Amino acid sequence: MEKMMSKLSENILDKFSMDFLRNQVLKNAYGNDDTVIAALDPRILIAWYLFFGVVPWFVNDLSFLLASFALVMVTTLLARVAGLVLFLFALGVFSQTGYLFLATLLFGGDASAVAPLLVLTLKVATISLASVTVFSGLDPDRLSNGLMWYGCPERLSFSISYAYRMLPMLMEEFQNVLLSYRLRGSAPDHDTFAGKVRYLIYQVKIIMESFYPLMLNTAKRSRTTVEALELRGYRYGATDKAVRKIKLSTMKVTCDDLLFLAVSALWMSLAVLGSTLI
Amino acid sequence: MNAVEIDSLTYTYPGAAQPTLKGVSLHIEQGDFLAVVGNNGCGKSTLCKALNGLIPHFISGTFDGKVRVGGLDTLESDVGTLARKVGYVYQDFENQIVRPTVLDDASYACLNYACPDYKQRGRDALRQCGLEGREEEYIWQLSGGQTHLLALAGAVSLCPDILILDEPIAQLDPMHADRIYEVLRDLNERYGKTIIVIEHHTEYIADYCRHVLLMKDGRAEWILPTGEALQRVDELEACNIFPPQVTQAAYRLRQRGTLPESACLPTTVEEGERAFASLSYKAVAPVEKCRQEEESAVSFQDVSLSYRTVKGEPRIVFDGLELDIKKGERVALIGSNGAGKSTLMKMMVGLLKARKGTVSLFGDPIGEKKAEELSRQISLVYQNPEEMFIKDSIRGDIAYAMQVRGVPDWQERTDRLLERFRLTELRDRDGRLMSGGQMRRASLAIGVALEPGILLLDEPTANLDIATRREIMQVLEDMKDMIQTAVIATHDMQLVCQWAQRIIVLSGGTVVADGSRDEIFAREDLAELVGIRPPEIFTMARRLDPQALCYTVDEFMDRFQEA
Amino acid sequence: MNTMAKPAAAQSQKLMVFVLSMSLYGLATLFTELIPKFQVGLVEFSVEYFLFIPLTLAMLFDPLSAALGAATGELVFSEIMLGQFGGLGELEKFLTVTIGIYIAGRMVSDPRNRTMVGVAAITGTAAQLLMGTVVDIAKVQFAVEDFEAVEGLPESVFATEGFAFCNDLLFSGIFFCLLPTLYLVPRLYGKIEPLLGAAPRTAEQNVSGLNPKALVVCAIGFACAVAAEMAATAGMSLVDWEAEWAESGTAMAVGMVVAAALAVLVLLVMKKNQERNMAC
Repeated sequence: MEKMMSKLSENILDKFSMDFLRNQVLKNAYGNDDTVIAALDPRILIAWYLFFGVVPWFVNDLSFLLASFALVMVTTLLARVAGLVLFLFALGVFSQTGYLFLATLLFGGDASAVAPLLVLTLKVATISLASVTVFSGLDPDRLSNGLMWYGCPERLSFSISYAYRMLPMLMEEFQNVLLSYRLRGSAPDHDTFAGKVRYLIYQVKIIMESFYPLMLNTAKRSRTTVEALELRGYRYGATDKAVRKIKLSTMKVTCDDLLFLAVSALWMSLAVLGSTLI
Repeated sequence: MNAVEIDSLTYTYPGAAQPTLKGVSLHIEQGDFLAVVGNNGCGKSTLCKALNGLIPHFISGTFDGKVRVGGLDTLESDVGTLARKVGYVYQDFENQIVRPTVLDDASYACLNYACPDYKQRGRDALRQCGLEGREEEYIWQLSGGQTHLLALAGAVSLCPDILILDEPIAQLDPMHADRIYEVLRDLNERYGKTIIVIEHHTEYIADYCRHVLLMKDGRAEWILPTGEALQRVDELEACNIFPPQVTQAAYRLRQRGTLPESACLPTTVEEGERAFASLSYKAVAPVEKCRQEEESAVSFQDVSLSYRTVKGEPRIVFDGLELDIKKGERVALIGSNGAGKSTLMKMMVGLLKARKGTVSLFGDPIGEKKAEELSRQISLVYQNPEEMFIKDSIRGDIAYAMQVRGVPDWQERTDRLLERFRLTELRDRDGRLMSGGQMRRASLAIGVALEPGILLLDEPTANLDIATRREIMQVLEDMKDMIQTAVIATHDMQLVCQWAQRIIVLSGGTVVADGSRDEIFAREDLAELVGIRPPEIFTMARRLDPQALCYTVDEFMDRFQEA
Repeated sequence: MNTMAKPAAAQSQKLMVFVLSMSLYGLATLFTELIPKFQVGLVEFSVEYFLFIPLTLAMLFDPLSAALGAATGELVFSEIMLGQFGGLGELEKFLTVTIGIYIAGRMVSDPRNRTMVGVAAITGTAAQLLMGTVVDIAKVQFAVEDFEAVEGLPESVFATEGFAFCNDLLFSGIFFCLLPTLYLVPRLYGKIEPLLGAAPRTAEQNVSGLNPKALVVCAIGFACAVAAEMAATAGMSLVDWEAEWAESGTAMAVGMVVAAALAVLVLLVMKKNQERNMAC
């Protein structure tokens, strides 16, 4: 317990480098734009995702699930996703079903409880990896164009590309505010256990408080941004059909895209074949 | 034809008691290059926002009068139509950029207005702004100057006849500032655009602008050709606008009777050469360098540091840096944008850790010090004062560090600091909501609250008008007794010349020059290499006499006498 | 005199609030993804919510813009940016967050009244958490076949989810929603509004008050959220995959394989041709 607390308190501010985080997020978005996955048409990929993101929920056939899992694993590797994202994936899968597994054992379940949970884990993992492939593998602009084609509101696709534009600036600002606290504030000693708890509370409090300056600073920025957006015709572009057409015309389905779909289909139908033979 | 016609424009912001613009009437000719000058809060920015229709269409308020831009009445046209007539670049231009890549951002407006050839227009705009070849780069790869050019390209892409820039060079080093103005001149002369800049660097006005508009208390005082406008030294100084140093010198020489009463004041170095031809330089004995204590305050031993990049190899900022700053020195750190000045400062306060080598404070490596101890020895004042305000009042911010450390008489000390930095009246205000100069003073007060042995200042005069800059320089002068050792990173050569004892020039992560101002500014190769430029008066003196070393107008007046 | 009160101006403020709420809450949720979960036994004391950010904004500005901005921010920054997009489940989260914040924002008519702010903050949080819990239980129930049959599973799901709700409300709700909102709202009131060119909210303005219409809209929203999850069960019975395979058997599967293989072959040939044409 004590060890965990100390690890936790160290993690939040000391070892947690904003610079690293910023780098990973940008790397994930733009660092892998030369991969096989990134070159595919976003609409095809989203359609592909709709299959692998939904169907596994409804299927309980083990060989089908294993095959899907293997496929999305390969695509994830092809997309060269940043390490941080993979780590979060692992964490996510555990937090969704891992704790349930432990809970089931505790409430008197036995080995029979394990099988459905394994299946559940496999489903969750497959679906997460499919989303990792699509949302990390595609560059955000192509992704938002693809979403727009499927009729997502323009506000969403604007938000996606704007978020990537804002994130580095926001993080820098946040970092500077936190550094102000670190330079001028006085953190409690954290050698004893009580000290560590105090230190943790102190850190959380600092993060909370730092949103006061951050909110005001960001408010200043967003005013300029919104005025500039108005001048640059954002409101016109969002409602004009012609603009939508121009944006969508940049996407083109090629042989490679269809090939990607066909290979996926071949693999999955082989899995179905396998399962019927067994 | 007139590009802009304003007829008795009066405008009041929503909720404001006083109108910001009071009956402004003026005409701006097609193809003009106009500088708008005036005190802080005289309505310069408001006037410019009235030209592109943001006022009154986007920012509500009480609007009276007529504004015609390129033949269109702004009341009758919508912002979209006006945006194609008037391009606008904000002072905080980085918030104007909304797309992640360069070409995307440049062509964004054209796309929104449904131009089928939007990509081509974006490319054209980038070419006109000198960003050719960077189309595919990401925004965060650009330097400050390039980001500004991109904001300009975004405005240019819609082919407006009029371009408005709000303080375009406030954050740039001289080399990048020249770039911006060269681009503007090119747009003006080759492409026939009307350019309107809000500017207080009168050297640039003298070199580039054709007309000057003086705003005072929400009124347009006059529009005059630049040469004529800058003659009105008294009137300008009353509005806190300081004419080029050459003009100031000539004005004082005229008062002294050295120049004839009827003489036209020179505004550029070239004109000055003719006007001051009769003067000769009286050499003075060089001041003996008095070496102070030899005890080291900060020292860098074989320090290397690199940043992670999104793609490819990490970018190396420093490789084997060796530097020693002695106790009691006043050091200026200069170099172009991105030379590593801020990085160096962050290493000194321990915010960045060197990959290799050691940084020591007063002989002990930084890594071994506790944050507690460190903050009493060294303090950093950020470039952007807003990031230093973490409490909801100035008083709270100044007191914070002392309060949490339990400094016994923190309340009295806070009051003394407030008094000293003339902030007593403002003590309950939030720092962010104050004027530029007040913010800067407050950030200095926060920086010295713990009475650190070493004070680091990152660009203390950036974004300030000349009057506020002078005020800050005065504050720095006053602080000499409180702070033993101080390091300033800056582009402001007037500040460097007046304040620093030692100048360190950084370029590409290495120290390329290190010495007194005489040693640094006498080297012409440095100006080429790192784009630093001595104050105008220094260049002026050198033209008259290659031996001359004058850094301020006062020195110039002393050393140059009638032959 | 020409007093302008164009719709564009009101629209712009809404967009500003949206952008502000999106970027700040998005940034915050990005961190929550990274802060390690902290477990005592089987209960997570997760620092899930930086919900105080949109709560504060919703109480000071237009509640709907702040609510939508926050939900979009979470979706974009932490789900899409980090590739954690969970499909249908995200719709549920999007709607519950929006509704929770919207309710809280509408409840406050005078941001200077601390009691009102506090009650609104905790109500908004509770509403959001409760909706999340209901949907969560449903989710596990439908995903795991023979849910009732597995010994100990239903009890454990109800217990953990129920406990998580109470824990989240008392722990996250008080420490991360109530207290920070109480700290921020009075401090920001009157300071942040001018920065966005808006007037501070006063009791006279029409923004506040939970009228029946707003409640109905919220209820419909929640129904949508549940429906998104229920779509799963409906889909399961409509397309009974396993039954289908069992009937058509191996022949059907072989057909599929052949068709897919043919498609791959044809496409490969096409690609070759295209490349040759390109080369010529």
